[in-house]
Amino acid sequence: MVKKEVEPLLNKVQKPARYTGGELNSVVKDKNSVKLRYAFCFPDSYEIGMSHLGLKILYSLVNARDDAWCERVFAPWNDMEKLMRENGVKLYGLESGDPLCDFDLIGFTMQYELSYTNVLNMLDLGSVPVLKKDRKSLTPIVVAGGPCVCNAEPITDFIDIVLPGEGEEVTNELIDLLIEHKEKGSSRLDFLRQAAKIDGVYIPEFYDVQYNGDGTVKEYKNLETAPKTVKKRIVSDLNNAHYPEKFVVPFIETVQDRTIGEVFRGCIRGCRFCQAGFIYRPIREKSADTIDRQCHLISDATGYEEVSLCSLSTSDYSQIETLIQKLFKWALPEKINVALPSLRVDNFSDELLNELKKIRRSGLTFAPEAGTQRLRDAINKNVTEEDVIRTASMAWSGGWSSIKLYFMMGLPTETMDDIKGIADLSQKVLDIYYQNPERQKGKTPSVSVSCASFVPKPFTPFQWEPQDTPESLTEKQKHLLSSVHSRKISVSYHESKTSVLEGVLARGDRRLGKVIYKAWQKGSKFDSWDEFFNFENWLEAFDECGLTPEFYANRIRNYDEIFPWDVMDYGIRKDFLIEENKKAHKSETTPNCRVKCSACGANKLNGGKCDARTK
Amino acid sequence: MPEPNKWRSEVRVFYEKTGMAKYISHLDTVHLFTRAIKRAKIPIWFTEGYNPHAFLTFAMPLSLGVESYCETVDIRLMQDEDLEELAVRLDNALPPDIHISKISAPRFSPQEIAWADYKIIFNCAEKNLSLYMNDILSGSEITVVKKVKQGRKKVEKEVDIKDKILRYIIASENGNTVLNITLSSGAQNNINPSLVINKIAEGSGIDADRASIIKLKSYTAEMLEWE
Ligand code: SF4
Repeated sequence: MVKKEVEPLLNKVQKPARYTGGELNSVVKDKNSVKLRYAFCFPDSYEIGMSHLGLKILYSLVNARDDAWCERVFAPWNDMEKLMRENGVKLYGLESGDPLCDFDLIGFTMQYELSYTNVLNMLDLGSVPVLKKDRKSLTPIVVAGGPCVCNAEPITDFIDIVLPGEGEEVTNELIDLLIEHKEKGSSRLDFLRQAAKIDGVYIPEFYDVQYNGDGTVKEYKNLETAPKTVKKRIVSDLNNAHYPEKFVVPFIETVQDRTIGEVFRGCIRGCRFCQAGFIYRPIREKSADTIDRQCHLISDATGYEEVSLCSLSTSDYSQIETLIQKLFKWALPEKINVALPSLRVDNFSDELLNELKKIRRSGLTFAPEAGTQRLRDAINKNVTEEDVIRTASMAWSGGWSSIKLYFMMGLPTETMDDIKGIADLSQKVLDIYYQNPERQKGKTPSVSVSCASFVPKPFTPFQWEPQDTPESLTEKQKHLLSSVHSRKISVSYHESKTSVLEGVLARGDRRLGKVIYKAWQKGSKFDSWDEFFNFENWLEAFDECGLTPEFYANRIRNYDEIFPWDVMDYGIRKDFLIEENKKAHKSETTPNCRVKCSACGANKLNGGKCDARTK
Repeated sequence: MPEPNKWRSEVRVFYEKTGMAKYISHLDTVHLFTRAIKRAKIPIWFTEGYNPHAFLTFAMPLSLGVESYCETVDIRLMQDEDLEELAVRLDNALPPDIHISKISAPRFSPQEIAWADYKIIFNCAEKNLSLYMNDILSGSEITVVKKVKQGRKKVEKEVDIKDKILRYIIASENGNTVLNITLSSGAQNNINPSLVINKIAEGSGIDADRASIIKLKSYTAEMLEWE
């Protein structure tokens, strides 16, 4: 619901439907009949935030309670922000139109490091003091969750409570507690003391951090009621976990306008560069019946024309064929597409390909990640050149005429030979097209190579590794371009300066709070958008704080260094990560979890259970 | 051409798009109706071919920011339906600011739209505004700047729209100045009311973005209500 003062602004901005609310299935309650108001904030544009599954789950979960009302808040685009500031309009919840400062709980989901400045900007636009030390009353309480909070230290100046892991259960527990304290009229400190006793609740101000002379962490001392380390929360039984029966249907096109079925959490692969592959463990699967039922309900409630399955590696789902058959049974007669994203090259069966062929014929994407077998072994991407060639060959004969290959650059142990390997592999993928009698005649095949810069992340075997410098990456990009010899192969890569900042923030400590604050004051926001990113701002901010990006990004860390994120317990044993790191340097692989459990330790979060082991 | 015997009947859905729904673009409105028809489980005809999609024909695209009481979309039903019941069902599947007024058999084709009534509200009651407006609209020539296609490019061109304005009334209502105006409409000679507003704004100094536009009715060339 839009307030009177907002209406005149809407005729002047792009895509005004980002700011109106009132979409189908959005939830409007009487604010006087609820005890707590929750603002779910996504620190990026409406189109990106509305595509996020976590938002849909928590929105539905909180609104299922009679005593609480959850609304959505997104970062306004800069045209709207400018008008809001000029006209004194505060950032508001889309459902009620009430300003952010009126809410009790303000929850941010931290999906990527480059959205941190948007958190500050949104708080400020919503008239909430940006620095937590300036927030004195019981509410609003600012909470953060999502993958980035496995190292929340850089944003602890702005966040009261951090929730590592999965939010379904702990959100309800926190809401219960805050309602109780609101009714009692407690102080903020009293509430935080009690909150710290809930499993999986991290209250940054209850930890005192000491640093060594060289800038590394000396120790974390827990104060008040806080535990020594905070264990991330997980949902044990996904079949009985809350899942929305309807999605809010945006008026404008967003990144994901479709029904999304979540199939499992965790990943069996153990690719050493991939943070998601470690922080979401252990593996927990949903039954095919549950997924099928949930997808059908959402389809009915939204009218979406496509169903897609979501997980880190959907084709690893143990009942994938059964599930697809079930979905086809109702989706085809109802003229609904079934799309399967993120397929892996090594288990891409002929049948699956045939099913897919019936549905879609857009470009196909694979991620070999590295150009040579040696480097693929080092990063534990268990894909062979044969796998890639065989899959490419199937795809060409299946009627696809363009293949997209994803690689990373700047991986630990990488040499120029590995870079040339990217070009060689792409050439082989292209060559196999012409050796294929079943290829689509009359079309020109194209292979597009997309290179991301590798960023070492906490809780991965590469958390000790130095990040490649922009200069070195530029050299490698040049080398790759000069190694490609066909016009049918196109190469694109991502700006390496944003990767520097991403890497710094990912493995940063509390001292970076000042840097983020200064960069924001200098106008930084939407840092993940090329048109907004301003590296100069950040360099100045580092300078003014007496810190350097190199300390965080390019330094080799020792196995015995205490990390800022050691205060978090994600179940994964550090010894396991060290073993994996050593194996990487010897180019030794580790089998996937279904072949053999490597005792990563995450199963202890789930009473010893892990679905990859029992299957 | 699709074979006509594949569907039972073609019907016209009349709807109102008001309030916040005026901020839904034409393309997004197409998507919105496709989904609403699916939610309401109305069996309609899909195009054939590689990527079948719901077949919908909107009479005219409506500009972003304009409210309307006379929008239509034609759909092809696969079986006989009670049209009143169908209207209720579809209405229930739509967001609150889009409302189905009726579903009936089409009387005219979209090509027969010739005129449309608009109500334009300026939230300003200054006497001078009414007088100024009247001066402009009663002049022997009303030149506006219109974007027109020239080959591939769009260029700005001055055009006289005097004969594209059929009639108008200026009134004041609750402290607002209200212009009721009938403008040329349809695929060929459409006059966007914002052209008139910009013309008035440029001379009077009011903020064009603050005027609200409501489309009320469409007519054929013979001034029969277009249905
Ligand atoms: S417990 Fe074993 S099977 Fe489960 S994720 Fe960890 S290593 Fe893999």
